[in-house]
Parts: sequence; structure tokens; C-alpha cells
Amino acid sequence: MPTITIFKQDLEGLLAGPGEARQLIGMEQLEESLMLVKGELKGQNPDTGELRIELQDSNRPDLWCCEGIARQIRVKRQGSLTKYDFLTTKSKSSKQLNVNPGLEGIRPYVAACAATGYRVTQEGLAQLIQTQEKLAEMFGRKRRTVSIGLYRLAAIEFPVTYDLVKPDETSFTPLGMDTVMTLGEMLLVHPKGLEFGGILAGQDRLPFLRDAKRQALSFPPIINSREVGEVLVGDDALFVEVTGTDLSMVVLTLNIFAANLADRGATIEPIEVRYPYKTPLGKSVMTPQDLGKSRKLPVGTIEQALGQPLGAQEVAKALTAYGYAVTTKSKEVRVTLPFYRQDLMHAMDVVEDVAISRGYSDFLPVMPSQFTVGGLSRIEEFSDRIRALMVGMGFQEIISNILGSPQDLRDAMRLDGTEWGKLVEVENVMSQNFSALRQWMLPSLLRVEAASNRAFYPHRLFEAGEVARPDPTQSVGSRTITLLGGMIAHADAHFSEAHSYLDTLFYYMNHTYSLEPIQHPSFLAGRIGGIVSNGIQVGVIGELHPEVLERWQISVPAVAFEIDLTELAERS
Amino acid sequence: MDISSLIDSLHPLEVKVLSTFGAKPSAVLQAEQLSQSTGLEPSQLSMAVEWLLAKSLLTVDTETVTPNVSLTKIGELYFEKYSPIERVLSATRDAAKTGKRLTIQDIQSREGLEPADVSGAIGRLKKEGALLIIQGGCVESTGRPSQTAETMRGLLQQLRGAPRDLKAFSKAQQQVIQDHSVKRGNAREPFRIDDRVARSLKLSTDGIEAAQQLSRQKTADEVSQLTPELLKDGSWRTKRFRKYTISLRAPRIAPGKRHPYREFLDTVKTKLVSMGFQEMRGSLVETEFWNMDALFMPQFHPARDIHDVYFVQEPTHAPSIDEPFLSRVTQAHQHGGETGSTGWNYSFNAERACRLVLRSQGTAVSAHTLAKQPDVPGKYFSIARCFRYDQVDATHATDFFQVEGIVLGDDINFRTLLGLLNLFAREVAQAKEVKFLPAYFPFTEPSVELHVRHPKLGWMELGGAGLFRPEVTLPLGVTVPVIAWGLGLDRMAMVALGIHDIRELFTDNLDLIRSTRGAV
Repeated sequence: MPTITIFKQDLEGLLAGPGEARQLIGMEQLEESLMLVKGELKGQNPDTGELRIELQDSNRPDLWCCEGIARQIRVKRQGSLTKYDFLTTKSKSSKQLNVNPGLEGIRPYVAACAATGYRVTQEGLAQLIQTQEKLAEMFGRKRRTVSIGLYRLAAIEFPVTYDLVKPDETSFTPLGMDTVMTLGEMLLVHPKGLEFGGILAGQDRLPFLRDAKRQALSFPPIINSREVGEVLVGDDALFVEVTGTDLSMVVLTLNIFAANLADRGATIEPIEVRYPYKTPLGKSVMTPQDLGKSRKLPVGTIEQALGQPLGAQEVAKALTAYGYAVTTKSKEVRVTLPFYRQDLMHAMDVVEDVAISRGYSDFLPVMPSQFTVGGLSRIEEFSDRIRALMVGMGFQEIISNILGSPQDLRDAMRLDGTEWGKLVEVENVMSQNFSALRQWMLPSLLRVEAASNRAFYPHRLFEAGEVARPDPTQSVGSRTITLLGGMIAHADAHFSEAHSYLDTLFYYMNHTYSLEPIQHPSFLAGRIGGIVSNGIQVGVIGELHPEVLERWQISVPAVAFEIDLTELAERS
Repeated sequence: MDISSLIDSLHPLEVKVLSTFGAKPSAVLQAEQLSQSTGLEPSQLSMAVEWLLAKSLLTVDTETVTPNVSLTKIGELYFEKYSPIERVLSATRDAAKTGKRLTIQDIQSREGLEPADVSGAIGRLKKEGALLIIQGGCVESTGRPSQTAETMRGLLQQLRGAPRDLKAFSKAQQQVIQDHSVKRGNAREPFRIDDRVARSLKLSTDGIEAAQQLSRQKTADEVSQLTPELLKDGSWRTKRFRKYTISLRAPRIAPGKRHPYREFLDTVKTKLVSMGFQEMRGSLVETEFWNMDALFMPQFHPARDIHDVYFVQEPTHAPSIDEPFLSRVTQAHQHGGETGSTGWNYSFNAERACRLVLRSQGTAVSAHTLAKQPDVPGKYFSIARCFRYDQVDATHATDFFQVEGIVLGDDINFRTLLGLLNLFAREVAQAKEVKFLPAYFPFTEPSVELHVRHPKLGWMELGGAGLFRPEVTLPLGVTVPVIAWGLGLDRMAMVALGIHDIRELFTDNLDLIRSTRGAV
């Protein structure tokens, strides 16, 4: 989840509020406070005050910025959230944003506001840009559902129009370029066009924001105009817009920006967005807007989940100090999330906020008291027993990756094109070394043997572990089974030596078996046996083919066996 | 060291020498006499004598130095192929018979001799009057014999294989030996004169006592190994068992042994079973449904990206997902269904749910258990191999174990969750101090991160846990609260194994595997 960079002095300024002296915060106090935002301090530079903080909660985009972290701490210190008056102005806005028809099929929603009276500082600008990037990237799914634009308000004449235009008929100079280009050219040439153009793939008309003078603001969600779409340190009037495919997410994102700018001292002027089509919020939508719905919860539900009697008053106090609006009845609370949050899906979400607000250390741990019987699965018990026998017979256990390469698992074993060589392979390969699940155990043993010619001989190795065998009768297309693989390597390694160990294993497993000659390309012909027990082949034993040894660059003879523990465990 | 422990530490050769004196403790014996009476090889005898001298059990009575003559390699060669002086002499005699003129060069080339050897021989023969040098650099036999050549032949014969005292030879012989012996700067000579030290030896006071004690210990045969025969016929009673030098380094062996990481996991497994947990197993290949959908991770969740999970190439999809789970989970995702949730508010893609992936989290195993009517109350765990689409480095493995599980029961709530984590801290990490931090997991609410003060590592994150969201449990048919927990044990395992790179948990280095002690 996002890791952001903030500055301690900026945080301290925001904790105090605009125009106030900074509220200094010690590092220990900061780490304590970060529990309120599920934040973890990942790094810091005491000289510059730079802090790197990881925010864990992917459903709380409001916390992915210095303003949001400061706000959550401030609310807790003050006991409740200060009112944001731009949410309650009912009067008509002086500024409008008109949406043209046709966008409902492409990128239907837009929200916007103006922010004046806050002179952008270096740190403030860095936060604005970081928030814009993190929200569009992680909350807006790489700009697909939400993207954000920031502009210099003074250059814009209202009403602004959210338009739909042909790619080659509209042009402006995008950020990062010196020349005028059409929207189509931007998709082909501009780095952001190349990165995000896929969002608009297949569209013959594209979204476009312009003002009353037909001046270009941006080509959402790709790039802003260089003229009005570049905010600089010292600007004191901003225009913020959010476009996207989900109206509540679009409004929430604008709400977060409005809250952030207001926390820095800006006056927020809402903008009325007029749609030619219906939206879940009607055809005229004032933004920012508090979309919070109140939710009724029995106090008992919260108490039961927390395992602690609290009473309605304590619950209300905790939630209010976490930013909620709360009203109480005797055994019931009615709660509303603050306007910059939308993550209340279930009563349990409220339960957690009560716990976080009070602090986890406020809850005394209690042991679960109900009696249960512990135990291992049948296959694990069986496999443990076999492992103990192998150790007793002088074998060194090894443990290997299950994910390997088709070269090692199949080709180097001379199994290409055979039934033995069928693998569960990965589609999105990152490295050939990790692109298939092992279908048998011997390559894992050979991997160690190949790397260990300096270790004194004899080598007796084994591994008991899972493999995946392709099996069309299974709904997942393969079966996960547990195999035992054993291998002996030294100058005189011989079939009968491995046979003795195998025979001993079967004696103690109390199963009968016979060896039947089979064809297996990994072994020397005539020195390979199928291990058949109860009419089913449960494994193989043999001397490894010299070509296999050569491919693994092993210079001593090796004999090996493998048995299917899953099959044998189920039987006994 | 007292005498009896000194005796115990004696080598059999030393014992033999001491015993030879045993009969006559005050005797003075020559080395040759000792050699005869002990029957030891000269080299063995001299070793034993040196040891005994060093232990002050033996002292030197008298020491005489005699020059001793022996043949060198060159001397052996001269014996077989004749010395230069013999060969030059016979060459001139042959020439005299045929009347041929013989130059010095002729002798050199015909006999294949070094110029220095030839000129040395000619000089000596001329001095003895056995040949003449005539005009044109020719040599001619006078017919007279050479004293040196004859003496040389006699010496080569006498000394072959039997070195002798120089003084045993006549004056003339001694002269030839001196003239033709190896000296510094001249190694190509047939004789060598060595100083031979002849010592007569006698026992010291301690030696006398040791010899007497030895004779009292009967004359037990010493053996190095107890054998079945010795046991069978009881003859071990009359044997003395040689004492070993036990301070020597032991030869290395490779025992049969569990892998140290597996041993660590076995310990964890045993602890969990002892705490009442039942083991669960699952499949390495999973559907996205069980790997993620059933855990209420929305299909657009970033952790479901192509960059986080391995997708299976063939087949790509399972034919179907079992009902009623598919319908119930679909509803929970879309609008909450009957879980009391608002849901994620998107349209759930059932085909995506069938997509096959490599299991990316152990919680998938728990999801299956929830759907199979688990025991209530119940505790379950699994140590499941999981796969992440990660660049492999010292702290990231693409293929790793997750230790995780669930606890179901009417008494499960936030405080019993903390109680369980306390138990894990104590039992698994031997930690007495714990911290609970708010955390986020898509499938739990509330969620907790467990930090403990490990006796060796200091504060560390031991695991994550929470109460399963009702959106997870209700669609799978579970109506009681459920704790979901996971432990991150790799760091503890690495400390126990003394390694710093996570890849070494699965190392291919047999020497390392054999020599790692593991957690004690």
C-alpha cells in the first residue's frame, strides 16, 4: 500500500492549523499517533525533517497525504472534527461546469471546486502533486476510474465545459512539451499518452476540458495544458477537477482535495456540475458534497465484537474523536462517516474504528477458553514417519523450491514430449527459473547434487514434499500430491543399494510391492523399475541416465527412487 | 609424570626396547646388540631410542664416531659399467692390440664419457705410468697395470650393498676412497664417507624402575584391537590394550539428518498442535475464487494484478465454482448479499473467479475449511507453500511457506483475538512483551499486527491477524466469529539457522546443509 513522503515541520503546521504556531511532535509521540492512521514509519531524515510513511489501509485514500494524517491526529486531540463550512452552503454557486452529451459512455463523471486564499508553498505543492499521483494510481486504478487535474484559477473563465471532441480536431500544448499537438498526437507521442492511452482505446471521440473562451484546460485522464494546467509555488487561487467512471469515487476524491486545501487555509468555493444525462446524484451536482449516509448500529453489536462492555456514550465518544458524526439513543448509535471517507461497508468497520480510537492497548487480552483437539493431517503424519525412517537410514533431508524451470524439471531429465514431462506452467513468466511447478522430486535432489561435488561422499539425500501433477479430471487441472524422493550419489552408487533402502521403507510401511521393468528416459534402460503396490504404480527406482547426469554436470553415478506418499497414506 | 602413567603412555616399540634391558637392568648395550635382541628394524629402533632418550628413561653411556664408506648412485653405476679410469685404460689397451691411434676425443665420443672424467682418468693413468701421451694428442698404452683402476674395482665389489668402516681398508685403498668420494663441489664420485655414530646405551634410574615394572606386568602381549576371538577364548585377559592418543581430531561423518529449516517448521507444527490446532492441507493450484474472491478481495484489488500473482497457462480456468458459494460470494461482492454489508458495488465476473492461479496466500486454505462445515469451536492451521510474482532477492522469495490458520467459536471477539496473539508470542517466539498495532487486511476487520520483543532480535513483527469480515464467513456458511491469523516466521528461522539471505532457506549447498546446527 502507498508509501508517502512528508515533512515533519509541514505535519506540525497542519496539526496546529493555518495561521497558528506549529504544534511540535516528538518521534515517539509521532509513532504512537501513526497507529491512528495504520501508518508505519519506514524512514526519516532528521536533517531535512523528511519522513517516509507507509499507509496500510487501501480503503482510506484520505490518509495518503500529510494533510490526512494530520487531520486524523488533530480530530483525536480535539475530540471531534471541526466543521467544514463549504459543505453547508446551500446557495447557488457562482461557477458552473457543463458536461456535454456523449460522455456517459466514456468517462461520465466530473467534480470540481475552486480554492482561494492559500498561497502554495514548496511543501504544499509537493503534497498536492504526491496526493494527485497516489490517488490516481492506487485509488483511481492507474487513472482508469479516477484522475485529477490542478490548474491556476486566474487563467480560467467560467463556465468550464467537459466536452467530447474528435482526436484530430482539438489541440493544445501539453505539459512537458513545447509544441501544440492534437489529442490524437498526444496519445501517440506524449509519455503520459503512451502510459495511459489504453484507458481510451477504441474511442473515436475523446474527453476534453475547456473554459468559456474555448481555452484548453486538459485532456483527461491523460495530460493538462501547459498554459493553465501547471501550478507553481506562490499561486494563491487553484481550480481542482476530478474525472472518472464512478461518481461516488469522483466526488470522494474531490472532497479529499477540498479538505486538504481547506486545512491549509484555503477558502473552498463549490462548483455546480450540470449533466445532460441522469446521474445517481441527479442532473445538477454540487461538488464537493457530503455523500455520507447515517447508519444505525446496536451498541451490543459493537460490544460483542470487541468483547468489552462500553455503553453508548463511550462508543459515541470514541467515534466522534475519530471524525464520525454520532447521535445516541439508549442502546443504539447512529453514525455518519466524515465527508472525506466512504469506507463504511459493514458494522465491523465501525467496530475497528472504535478500537483504534480508544487504542488497542485499552483492550485486555483474554485467552479463548473453548477446548479443541489438535492434530496433524493423515498425510503429514505419514510423511513425518517416512522422514524419520529416511533420517535413520542415514539420508540428509533437503528442502527445495516447488517453482522451477521446465528445463530442469523436464528437458534435463530427458522427458520432453513424454507423459512424465507434463507440467503445470505459469503464463505470466517473470523468470524461466520460476515458471513451472515441479511434477516430481528428482530434479530437486539433482539440484543439490549438482552444486555439491565438493561435499564429501557418499551423498544420501531425500526430500518429502508437494508436487503438482497435471490431471484433467481435477477442477483445478492438477493434483497436489506429496512425494518422497531419495538419491544416493558416490563412485560406486548402484541399483541394489537404492533397492535395499526402498525395501526397508516398504517393510516399515507394512505394504508389499514389486518392481516391474518400465521405460523411463531419465534412467538407464534395464536398470529402472516401476514400484507397483496393490496393482498401482506408486513410484520409480533406477540408475540415472548418464546423459541426465551430464546435463546436470554431475560426475559421479547416482541412483534414486521416488514414491507417492499421498497414495500410500490414503491406503493405510 | 609418575612412572606407571609413563609406562601406560609408552609406544610398543619403546616397551620392546625397555624389556630388552629388563633382564639386566644395569647393562650397557650397543645399538647392534639392541637391534638383535629386540628384532627391530634399524629405523624403528632408532625411533624408539630417540623417544626413550627424550623421556630420560635411557641415557647414552659412550658415543664413538666412525667414518663409514658407502657407494653412491655413481658408484653403483661404475660397478656395473666400469669407472672412467677402467674404461680409458681398456680403450688404450684395445687400441694397442689393433695398432690404431687413439685421440682423447676418440675416447670421449666412443665411450660417451664426460670430458672432465676422461681427462681426470688420463691424468691419473699417466701418473701411474699406465699410458703415455704422444704427439697429436694421442694416448698410448704402456702395458703396465694401473694401481688405481685395480683398487677401484676391488672397492666397488666390496662396498656394493655393504657400507664399511673406512678404517677397515688399507692405506692405499683409503687413499683411492678419499680421492673418489663425494665432496662439496664434486658430487659425481663413486664413494661417500659418512660419520657414523655408535652409541652404547644404558637405562637411567627411572628407566630401571620402568623396566622392572614392565617385567612385573608379566610380559603381556599388546594388542590394538579387541577381537571376537580374544573374547571367545578369554585371551584378552593376558593382553595389554594399547592406549590411544585421544586428543586427535575425529574423522568427519555425515549423519542422516532433518533439514534445519524443516526442523524449525516441525517445531512450529508441534507447538500449534499442542495448542489445539488441527492441520489443514490445500492445493498448490487454486481458483481466484478461493484464493481471493472468497476472502472478499474485490476483483479490482491491486494485489490481484498480473504483477502479483502467477497465472496458470493450461488449463486457464476451472470449469465451475461450487454452489452455493459462487452465488453468495458474488452477492457479497456486489451489494453485500445477506451479510449486512454494502458490498464493493461493482459487477462480479464469474469467469474471473474460475481463473487458475498458483496459491498466493495460505488464507486460501482457510477459506476452503470454512466452506466445509468446520468444527465449532475449532482451531485450524496450515503451513502452506505460496507463490508471489516477486523479484527474487535476499529478502524476497518467489516460493515460500506461510504459517496461518483460523479459530472459530462463540467466544471469539477482539479481546480473545489479542489473547490468542499473546499465546503465539509466548509459545512461538518466547516473547514476554507484545504490542498490538492497528493493521489492514482485505478480509479482516478489526485487523491487528502483532509485534513482539524477541529474546535475540528485539522488537519484530511476528504476525498479522483479525476477525474475518462477515462478508467472508457468512457466504461460506459460518455464523460464528472467526479469527484469521498468520505468522511471519522466516526471520526467526533465518536467525535460528544463522543465515542472512532468504534464498539460503532452500540452499543447494550440501556442505552448508550438513554443517548447519539449526535451532537448538
